[in-house]
Amino acid sequence: MGIVVAKDLAFEYIRRDEEGNVEGITRAIDGVTLNIKAGEFVAVLGGNGSGKSTFAKHINALLYPTEGAVYVDGKDTAAAENTWSVRQTAGMIFQNPDNQIIGNIVEEDVGFGPENMGIPTEEIWQRVEEALQIVGMKKYAKHSPNKLSGGQKQRVAIAGVVAMHPKCIIMDEPTAMLDPEGRHEVIRAARALNNVEKVTVILITHYMEEVIHASRVVVMDHGKVVMMGTPREIFSEVEKLRELRLDVPQVTMLSWYLRKDGLPLKKGILDINELTKELLQLKKSDFRLPETALNPVRKELLAAAEEKKKGSDEQLPILILDHVSYVYSEGSNDEIRALDDVSLTIRKGEFIGLIGHTGSGKSTLVQHLNGLNRATSGNIYFKGEDICEKGYDMRKLRSKVGLVFQYPEHQLFEENVFKDVCFGPLNMGLSKKEAELAAFSALEAVGFPKDGFYSSPFEFSGGQKRRIAIAGVLAMKPEILVLDEPTAGLDPKGRDEILGLIKELHETQDITVVLVSHSMEDVANYAERIVAVDNGKILMEGSPREVFKRYKELEAVGLAAPQVTYILNDLKDKGFDIDENVTTITEARYRILNSFTGSRD
Amino acid sequence: MLRDITLGQYYQADSIIHKLDPRTKLIGTFVYLVSLFLFRNVAGFLAATVFLVSMIKLSRVPFKFMVRGMKSIVVIMMITVVFNMFLTPGEPLLKFWRFTITDEGLKNAVFTAIRLIYLIIGASLMTLTTTPNQLTDALENLMNPLKVFKLPVHEVAMMMSIALRFIPILLDETDKIMRAQTARGADFEHGNLVQRAKSLVPILVPLFVSAFRRANDLAMAMEARCYSGGEGRTKMKPLRYEKRDTISFIIIVFYLAAVIVLGRITIGKFGL
Repeated sequence: MGIVVAKDLAFEYIRRDEEGNVEGITRAIDGVTLNIKAGEFVAVLGGNGSGKSTFAKHINALLYPTEGAVYVDGKDTAAAENTWSVRQTAGMIFQNPDNQIIGNIVEEDVGFGPENMGIPTEEIWQRVEEALQIVGMKKYAKHSPNKLSGGQKQRVAIAGVVAMHPKCIIMDEPTAMLDPEGRHEVIRAARALNNVEKVTVILITHYMEEVIHASRVVVMDHGKVVMMGTPREIFSEVEKLRELRLDVPQVTMLSWYLRKDGLPLKKGILDINELTKELLQLKKSDFRLPETALNPVRKELLAAAEEKKKGSDEQLPILILDHVSYVYSEGSNDEIRALDDVSLTIRKGEFIGLIGHTGSGKSTLVQHLNGLNRATSGNIYFKGEDICEKGYDMRKLRSKVGLVFQYPEHQLFEENVFKDVCFGPLNMGLSKKEAELAAFSALEAVGFPKDGFYSSPFEFSGGQKRRIAIAGVLAMKPEILVLDEPTAGLDPKGRDEILGLIKELHETQDITVVLVSHSMEDVANYAERIVAVDNGKILMEGSPREVFKRYKELEAVGLAAPQVTYILNDLKDKGFDIDENVTTITEARYRILNSFTGSRD
Repeated sequence: MLRDITLGQYYQADSIIHKLDPRTKLIGTFVYLVSLFLFRNVAGFLAATVFLVSMIKLSRVPFKFMVRGMKSIVVIMMITVVFNMFLTPGEPLLKFWRFTITDEGLKNAVFTAIRLIYLIIGASLMTLTTTPNQLTDALENLMNPLKVFKLPVHEVAMMMSIALRFIPILLDETDKIMRAQTARGADFEHGNLVQRAKSLVPILVPLFVSAFRRANDLAMAMEARCYSGGEGRTKMKPLRYEKRDTISFIIIVFYLAAVIVLGRITIGKFGL
């Protein structure tokens, strides 16, 4: 028997109305049977609402099965007398790093679990030290958790569980709220636990890069296990994964396309090395594709070029930042230069991607665009008027430069969706009628279903809530739309939907877009111009190709290029005759296919 | 905006006062505060001054940090001083229009002012040398006897400690929500009282929603880590009285005795 065993597990959430009558039943888990052996690294994948988190809570005895049973180390989790030993055997890490740290000092938090277990003081200290060592946070033992980065906080949380000496750790989307650097830290810690400490790890996630190293992948949908196998087996079925609101890493995607186009590659390629090795081998064997193999990709390439051309005519500048600096607590000892002599011109109809690691100043920068932050020195002009001047109508500016914050759904507050979206327009001084009209067209523009207009905004899923929040800004009819990480925390399908929506708004409503993102792939796919920020300064700006060509400089400041850029650079380095300067899958696909047909253009 | 507010004014230094058991400091401070009301003469004040100054010296906390806490009570202090000065009956010293200042009144006013200042400095000395966690630990420990009366001592201490952890997070969140609503054209600075109160709704609702979500998450995280109340818990940092604490208690007792004795000696015709 394995360390975690689920037998015909089913769980129902029962919703009740105010009188306690059953209003509806949601079957979140529907017949899951799974046997996880000690020492395994199992990744559980699934879109939002697939039931994967509900499943995780069963292993920790935070929820009890409606039907079936879960056994942890042979113990039935539903039996009351097993609760504490189950929780000790199978520790759990949650999504939000802030909401699971109890202690005011790192070491005290790590000691919380052992304290609850009644471990003697001496041994607690020993365990805390060990645990912090394992996750690499020993030198932060005396720090306040509030001063740590997201990745560090999550590692503290892991140490807190490790100190309880569990045999198994369940991580429920531990990286969903982290930046790429934090994600790497957490995954590295998880792998070390599995490899060195031999702890069984169950990682729940929707980031596909994180499951490549798993010994087994389980895919869930609508409360059922729909796929199971090694990462390679799972990643071979690109089409099926997409139906399940998931995607695959760029390298797998590209290989899948190339295979479809006629290159005899193996199925389910997981990393860059594998792909380049296969391609080199093909080249050596003098494999040739017919010219016609290029037709499908040519069509896609043309379509993409067509779209980008629309915005590329020289347009008038709409917003100009002229030598802007912003200093926190000027003159004191802890003076911070958040922005340092930034000059930037935003032209009408542009789609700008703004990249920079956490703390680079990009959030401070976007809050200057609508006057939320006031420049310490320098000037900002909107349509030729200086917004820093006294008496400038800030409200009007804020309606013209709409800013969608990170996790915008956290600002929803009204009793129904429609009223919430009306909030902005009413603040602008529009009449009730005008505001309602604006709200209506905004909700329509984001594709929100009409029958939900008068429901509470809190009733909807994360992705839908985000649409409502974006509509709340759109209803002010902005000319520039600034979005700070609009896809944070969404599953791949939700991410594509929101990005698609932004692109559509850009094209059909002629809105200028500034997209702040951690994902180089997203920026490369959608932006016409990229601005990279580091240390309060603009590091570089230009087209995606111009910027990602300098990927080594980007890496030096904690950024990167899309995976495809690395693939083609690797090919070039290994003696492939190819133009390596690409930023999207379609471009890469074309270049590679082209090199096998022999035609040059 | 809000993030400038700092909570818990702990000042890190390596001093004997910092090292004392928090219970000793808590009891010591309490005795000191009570002692300030045990005398009405100069000799008593001298004793209190000597005690306070030596504690400040021992703590190695710069004096300007003590004074910081004073700003908040300046108004209250002025009011008490004025009331004491004019409303105490006794020998009139000065008369103008309808006000009279008496000798008793002047004495009361001066004493009250000094008392308040000493009180604030004494209390800040404790918070400056004790981390919030140590304080909660000490409170939990000292209130332990109250468990007999079914008082949830451990729970109260746990609540205080969690509040301390989440106050900065929620302040940050408030700042974020305010900015987000400002970006949607909300105005928190203008309008009359009713309008301003109304304008808080878009901040308070999201803040409460978030606080409840966090509370829910935290409860689950605590349960997952085997928390089940104070029963059967051990302590990572148990409170232990050392030799220095014994010495401190002796000093405190001596101080209290000195104040009581000196407080009964009067010099001069004003009864100083």
